[in-house]
Amino acid sequence: MNTTDAEAELTRLREAIDRVDDVLVKLLNQRAKYAVEIGEIKGVLSLPIYAPEREKEVLRHVEAAGAGPLDSAAIRRLFERIIDESRRVERESASTGVSQ
Amino acid sequence: MIIVMQKHAPDPSIEHVVAELSSRGFDVHRSTGADQTILGVVGRVDTLDPREFELFEGVQEVVRVSEPYKLTSRTFKRDKTIVKARGVEIGGDRVVVMAGPCTIESEHQLFETARRVARSGARVLRGGAYKPRTSPYAFQGMGIEGLKLLRAAGDEFSMATVSEVMEISQIEKMLEYVDILQVGARNMQNYNLLSALGQVRKPILLKRGMSATIQEWLLAAEYIMAGGNYDIILCERGIRTFETYTRNTFDISAIPVIDKLSHLPIVGDPSHATGRRDKVMPLARATVAAGGDGLLIEVHHDPEKAVCDGPQSLYPDQFARLMDELKIIVPAVGRSI
Repeated sequence: MNTTDAEAELTRLREAIDRVDDVLVKLLNQRAKYAVEIGEIKGVLSLPIYAPEREKEVLRHVEAAGAGPLDSAAIRRLFERIIDESRRVERESASTGVSQ
Repeated sequence: MIIVMQKHAPDPSIEHVVAELSSRGFDVHRSTGADQTILGVVGRVDTLDPREFELFEGVQEVVRVSEPYKLTSRTFKRDKTIVKARGVEIGGDRVVVMAGPCTIESEHQLFETARRVARSGARVLRGGAYKPRTSPYAFQGMGIEGLKLLRAAGDEFSMATVSEVMEISQIEKMLEYVDILQVGARNMQNYNLLSALGQVRKPILLKRGMSATIQEWLLAAEYIMAGGNYDIILCERGIRTFETYTRNTFDISAIPVIDKLSHLPIVGDPSHATGRRDKVMPLARATVAAGGDGLLIEVHHDPEKAVCDGPQSLYPDQFARLMDELKIIVPAVGRSI
């Protein structure tokens, strides 16, 4: 691969990552919408936002679904961030739901 | 605020902490490492008392990220600092005892005292050449001649040397003769001096000011470290309280507190803390038992004739007995001497 080809390939791959990111953000927001709804339900049922067993189940699920190159520890780290944000979203919607 | 869980803390312990924070409306960022989990707490953390969470099962440490001191903090450096001075390691496995007269008075006095303390196991020789005295008419020290004697005695008995620096102009000369530069309690907040000491590459023994909080003390160390000198030994020497029976109140609790907050080694100076010979030995034992990395003890071969602080100086025989007692204590706290 000469320099020009390599540069073109780099641009192409970066564009591919941008497209994946677009989808990722959409999916993450889709996921967050479910979390908002769950938060509202938890508010109605007065359930705690933090559900450790469910979080473990989510992590087990995504770790099992992985096919590399991200190993299960990496997937866990990424999903811990996602779960952190879901908890926040749920907490917000739960408190709004209660006040309504 | 960051909550560091103990290595291999079981899930229920971690979940208990997350649940508690979550129920109080804080957002938690959980980060699972290979063997240690760290929880980042987001929200109005100034309303939280870190000590409360330190008591939770499985919690190793709670750190306020908003600590005003940074370089001295355990957050900045997890592993304990070991300060090296002429082959002596302070902050390592071995407890280091620094001993010698308050003031260098004469060759005979210094060598005689050095010989006795070295034989008992002291590894650093102390001796003041410039003395900050409460009265301007009191003996002010031998100056440079005293430092030369200190070096000679240190070499003779294979000890590192420590002596107090009073002002910036003394630093350069002292570097020739002294292995550890001591900043006295009265100078702990002399920020010009501290900044100048940040530029040297020799260990600094920083005494706690007599009315300094632990935070102010760590900030003083921060001044030195900000200049690039990371070799600092903290020295608890007692603080002013309403009690008048002893000259100062020796703050034993500062030792475990510093160990938690900072990676810097800490030693105790029970001589200045109490001002009374009969109180020095119990507090020296307590310093080591509490996890102190060493001691700074005044010993005089003939305390009755000492020009300065005679009543707080140990007799060499007392010092030898103290060292024997410390040998019994150190294994209980996982150290040697």
